[in-house]
Amino acid sequence: MSARADPTLMKEIGLFGAADVSACFNCGNCTAICPLSKGDTVFPRKVIRYLQLGLTGQLEESPEPWLCYYCGECSATCPREAHPGEIMMATRRWLISRYDWTGISRLLYTSKAWEIGLSLVLGLIVVMLFALLHGPVVTERVELNTFAPVPSIETADWIVAALMTFFLLTNAGRMFRFTMRGVKAGLSVYLSEISTFFVHMLFQKRWRECHGPKIHWLKHFLLVTGYLTMFFLVFVFLPWFQTDGWNVSSLFGYYATAVLLYGTVDAIIGRLRRREEIHKHSHHTDWMFLFLLFSIALTGILVHVFRVVGLPHATYYAYVIHLAVDAPWLILIVPFGKWSHLLYRPLGMYLVSVRARATSTAAAGGVVPNPV
Amino acid sequence: MSRDEVKIGVYICHCGGNISDRVDVAMVAEEAGKLPDVVISRTCMFMCADPGQELIAGDIERHGLNRIVVASCSPSLHETTFRSAVVRGGLNPFLYEHVNVREQVSWVHASGRDATAKATTLVRAAIARVRHHEPLSPIKVGASSRALVVGGGVAGLRAALDLAGFGLPVSLIEKSPKLGGRVEGLGTVFPAGESGAELIRTLVEQVSAADEITVLTRTHVTGATGYVGNFSVTVSRDTGNSSAIETEIKAGAVVVATGSTPYRPVEGEFGFVRFPEVVTLPDFLRILDQARSGGALTVNGRSIRRVAFIHCVGSRQIEGIHEPKPDCSLNLNCSRVCCTATLKAGSDLIERFPGTYVYDFYRDIRTYGRGHEEIYERASADGVVFLRYEVGAPPQVTEAAPGDAGSMLVTVRDSLTAGMEIEVAVDLVVLAVGMEPAEVGALAQTLKFPSGADGFLQEVHPKLRPVELAVAGVVLAGTCQSPRDIEESCASASAAAVKVAGLLTRGYVELEPFVARVSAERCEGAGACVSQCEYEGALKVVEAEVDGQTVRKAVVNGALCTGCGACVAVCPTRAIDISGWTLDEFEAMVDAICADPMEVAGD
Ligand SMILES: Cc1cc2nc3c(=O)[nH]c(=O)nc-3n(C[C@H](O)[C@H](O)[C@H](O)COP(=O)(O)OP(=O)(O)OC[C@H]3O[C@@H](n4cnc5c(N)ncnc54)[C@H](O)[C@@H]3O)c2cc1C
Ligand code: SF4
Ligand code: SF4
Ligand code: SF4
Ligand code: SF4
Repeated sequence: MSARADPTLMKEIGLFGAADVSACFNCGNCTAICPLSKGDTVFPRKVIRYLQLGLTGQLEESPEPWLCYYCGECSATCPREAHPGEIMMATRRWLISRYDWTGISRLLYTSKAWEIGLSLVLGLIVVMLFALLHGPVVTERVELNTFAPVPSIETADWIVAALMTFFLLTNAGRMFRFTMRGVKAGLSVYLSEISTFFVHMLFQKRWRECHGPKIHWLKHFLLVTGYLTMFFLVFVFLPWFQTDGWNVSSLFGYYATAVLLYGTVDAIIGRLRRREEIHKHSHHTDWMFLFLLFSIALTGILVHVFRVVGLPHATYYAYVIHLAVDAPWLILIVPFGKWSHLLYRPLGMYLVSVRARATSTAAAGGVVPNPV
Repeated sequence: MSRDEVKIGVYICHCGGNISDRVDVAMVAEEAGKLPDVVISRTCMFMCADPGQELIAGDIERHGLNRIVVASCSPSLHETTFRSAVVRGGLNPFLYEHVNVREQVSWVHASGRDATAKATTLVRAAIARVRHHEPLSPIKVGASSRALVVGGGVAGLRAALDLAGFGLPVSLIEKSPKLGGRVEGLGTVFPAGESGAELIRTLVEQVSAADEITVLTRTHVTGATGYVGNFSVTVSRDTGNSSAIETEIKAGAVVVATGSTPYRPVEGEFGFVRFPEVVTLPDFLRILDQARSGGALTVNGRSIRRVAFIHCVGSRQIEGIHEPKPDCSLNLNCSRVCCTATLKAGSDLIERFPGTYVYDFYRDIRTYGRGHEEIYERASADGVVFLRYEVGAPPQVTEAAPGDAGSMLVTVRDSLTAGMEIEVAVDLVVLAVGMEPAEVGALAQTLKFPSGADGFLQEVHPKLRPVELAVAGVVLAGTCQSPRDIEESCASASAAAVKVAGLLTRGYVELEPFVARVSAERCEGAGACVSQCEYEGALKVVEAEVDGQTVRKAVVNGALCTGCGACVAVCPTRAIDISGWTLDEFEAMVDAICADPMEVAGD
């Protein structure tokens, strides 16, 4: 069976941020230089080739984009200035939109208007819900838990978490199906490789194989720890975290906020300066990601400061705004947007190792694996 | 000059070690110095350098030398150099003998002893021969100043104009009804994108305005005789009402500018003929030229949205892979212009009909010329998608299922995608066909033009004499010689014109004196020689009055004789000889070589 070329894919990937796919003349320098391309999973040239030819099916099945950490070495080496690193980035965005069955990802990625519009709508819904349903407003002192009782917030939390999980998992299921198309692997293989998933998710271990300064990895790692801390505070430890008094969880909150503020401000400055390869190209979804995450951290710390200083109105307003920026983050960016790489990247690496093990077992059993 | 007065100078060159590393040049010089009549025998580091040349000229003056032998590199490199030095010393240039002890000795023999022995032997032979040399002078033949240009394409037009610029009368013949050749139909041409028709119009206007140029269209050559300076070419002009007028043109030189024809794929080759959607690049360029931009290109009423171009069709063929033509030949050469022309066509298509998708199936992209790589860049920026095929696995062109995105499918094992089989649906397939030499016809047959294995006319030497044909007085211009673009065609046309002008502006031509000569005393007029001579008019037996008696004698036409020597071998009375290569000389050389049996290495 021959693969069918589709001339429209190159234009489509342009919407996801890859402007120069046709500039690539397939020399392969990028693949040669990439520290992460090895064995059966070679990239980025192969991915670029699929894009040029419009081999949508092959591209959907490719986990390679998830193996790239965007060190940018390939872009620095490309003789045609085709920006292969950014093409890989755009392909990840495209893949996210292919995994997503609702079509929301595609809207977010291909239209600035939709992304901003949907975010505003979600924010406004939160504001309206508070306008209608908030608890008594105590003005003598700060009583946040009276204004927004923990049980209600927790219920909302859980509803959002359930939605988020549902979309994320169904999309991840599609990714699984695409990536493992035509691969036969027994349960034992899946189980034996499971640690790969967690190790990469928590530590981005592969990134450390990139050449150059480890500082990008370290910053990203801190951001992840900050993010996960905040995640657990909000979804698991809310009763302790959202308190009108003081709780040891606040210490964790300080850490998370500090790290998030540092990480986002650093990234924003990087993207404005456009010095390093990783920061040279910014898609509108990158800006939205940073803007929301920064706003979440900033409004969170404001709520805390106003509460501690004893400004009731300021605290309540800040809290509403804080949740208004939380909503698009949790409902859009996490399951449908850039955040989802937290899941897809380790899943991609996991599936690659499962695939490798499955094919090597098959080969040992006398079955010749398909060349990738 | 009598034999007693012979004074020979012998020079052995080191060639900076190229010769002397193997050959003991001092010993060769010493041995040569012992031979009778050798007045001077020297070695020199570089004979061809000024001091070496001055040595010869100076020795001639100082020592009254009248024969010179130089043992050095190949005569094709420096024979004329040393002849000139001999002339500067005041001698006739043909009193000189050249020995090749580099290519034929030092570079090919491993043992220094053998090499020295062989060099000594060759030098002895040369000394034996040079004694017999006589002063010769080039043969001067009166020449017609008219130049005949055959073929009115861009190269023929350029050559005719340049010749007219030298004030020479020119006859320009073109077999088709119109001047201009292939360039007319190309639309805009690379690299700059000007209109081909416009280029031709400019040239044709200038040609019509030049009084020196007589243009004959619908005219072809039916036969030719003569030699450099004095060709007589008969041409036949089709008058249009099924009659033809034959004319004779007397010309001193001929510029061949008959151009090329596009390769015509055989039926079924990439679906050619079988599917109307498969066209050649020249046809496509014509379609593109005539189409109005915007919307979709329409071909035969079908709107074209996706186009495949296939490179190297009928070019760069390889034995065992490609099907030879009925005459068993293959087009081995790269046609050179088709890559750039294809890329330009792809870009033009996308730019003039936005939304058209172009796929380019190539073996190699050879955008070699100035400004050509930019055309590749442009195609790439325009979004042309490249797929690469290996020579043994050309793309397959088949019909697509009804309702597919295009009516044709092109399938290829794409070596840019790890050999994956890729299928592309298209509306049109364009074959970048190569160039084949045009039929030159009677002119080539009667004047015996040499052509290469690829069928293109072949120059004397690709580097040293790139525009001359081995037939003296015939020069080449444009694509009749090899595939080339307009720029290169015009450059070679201008070069050809200068060659011809150099030949014809003097009113006479000088030919090498190494031709047959007949001794009137010995010749008995039997004519055995005439029947051996392959060159018409070179040798004939005439009746002459000698002392009141009618005798038959062989007579040579020095302009037509090539000096091949076939006649010499058969003359029963040794009446015929080649000047500068006489039988006496050969005998003297053989004696010299045999008198000195070559030492054979003991090991
Ligand atoms: C598809 C294609 C695209 C090209 N595009 C470009 C381009 O964009 N830019 C560029 O620089 N070059 C281009 N070229 C190359 C260009 O066409 C040639 O360089 C040019 O045509 C050579 O000119 P010519 O005079 O040697 O030969 P031709 O153009 O072939 O002219 C030869 C003339 O001689 C006549 N003739 C032939 N035999 C005889 C005979 N026996 N007696 C009398 N007359 C005879 C013919 O009728 C013709 O008029 C292209 C070539 C091809 C095939
Ligand atoms: S992206 Fe650049 S380096 Fe990589 S194959 Fe293409 S041209 Fe070469
Ligand atoms: S950005 Fe780095 S990791 Fe990604 S493909 Fe390029 S070289 Fe490889
Ligand atoms: S110029 Fe290009 S298409 Fe033409 S024969 Fe040469 S390689 Fe093939
Ligand atoms: S040397 Fe050759 S060409 Fe000349 S007359 Fe004799 S046979 Fe003819």
